[in-house]
Amino acid sequence: MRHLLLRVYPARWRARYGDEFETLLGERPLGPFDVADVLLGALDAHLHLRGLGAALEDRKGFPMTHRIGGYAAILGSLLWIVGLVASSLDGSDSAWPWLPLGLVGTALLLVAVIGLSAFQARRYPRLTWAACAVTAAGAAVAVVGLFGMVVTGDEPFFGLSGWSLWALGSLAMFGGSGLYAIATWRTHTLSRGAAALLGIASVAIVPAMMGVVGGPEQLAIAFFLIALAAFAGGWTTLGLSALRSQRPASSSVPGVAS
Amino acid sequence: MEHQEHPVPELGRFAEPALLILVSLSDGPKHGYAIMTDVEAGTGHPMGPGTLYAALARLEERGLIEALAPVDRRRPYRLTAIGSQVLTEQLRDLAEFAELGLRRLGRVQR
Repeated sequence: MRHLLLRVYPARWRARYGDEFETLLGERPLGPFDVADVLLGALDAHLHLRGLGAALEDRKGFPMTHRIGGYAAILGSLLWIVGLVASSLDGSDSAWPWLPLGLVGTALLLVAVIGLSAFQARRYPRLTWAACAVTAAGAAVAVVGLFGMVVTGDEPFFGLSGWSLWALGSLAMFGGSGLYAIATWRTHTLSRGAAALLGIASVAIVPAMMGVVGGPEQLAIAFFLIALAAFAGGWTTLGLSALRSQRPASSSVPGVAS
Repeated sequence: MEHQEHPVPELGRFAEPALLILVSLSDGPKHGYAIMTDVEAGTGHPMGPGTLYAALARLEERGLIEALAPVDRRRPYRLTAIGSQVLTEQLRDLAEFAELGLRRLGRVQR
């Protein structure tokens, strides 16, 4: 029983405390309280040792949210850009498979912005949550627009065409990402390069959209491409930096022998 | 003694067990089982082995206690100088808080 309970703890923890802990468990009969307490202690040890040194103590509340947000940002930005570019290049009228790909990518970006904003909200709560709300609302509208394009094609959907809804939602996503870039830059908990890319995207989308409503076409296309690349690159870099921040500050955990 | 500011260690839900452990070690080094029985004797409440070692690990990480050489697979722990000072400050704060509460209840005898 004692040996089994000890095995529940992480190996690194056992290497440091295993002998004395097993001796302690043998000092008296274990009751249900003790067993439950040991199991909770083992859970705590797993959470505590999983990349959490003293340097990361301040961030301890958000590791899971952050990790999910990081993966969602990388996968979402890649699916989003692939879906968008491929559907533009695809000459056929079929929405499959590119628009659903873009839909999944946008939904993942929604997950990313929520997960990563939770981490930053400690420093600049209003700015971060404003950025999160605008981006999330934009992503939701864009998802509805993409869904409309997939289901109804060019037919009106909620009074607007699916494309118009997608464009409006995407514009809000770019705007929200711009706010998020400011929050990221000021917080400095994630990559500032990613923040710069998202900032460029949110600025470049303005002349690009002006081209859509009648501005110089070539210039608008150039700004559109810059905005797309910076947006996808910014979220990918942001996701990578979020995952990198999950790693231990060093190979050893303070107080625990390796 | 010159008063020095030490940041109050953030121990979350282990703050109370950590304080009990520091008090237990204040009269000399003890190993895990001795701390457990001491705390139980002093408070009347049991401290589980999982809680004890989660708190011990945090206290050791923060340099408030240090491990001594094991004796028969039992490893004693003792307060460090910083641990002693942090404990003093925490107990002083608690005493002031308790005095405030008692004064408000009108039970302080002057």
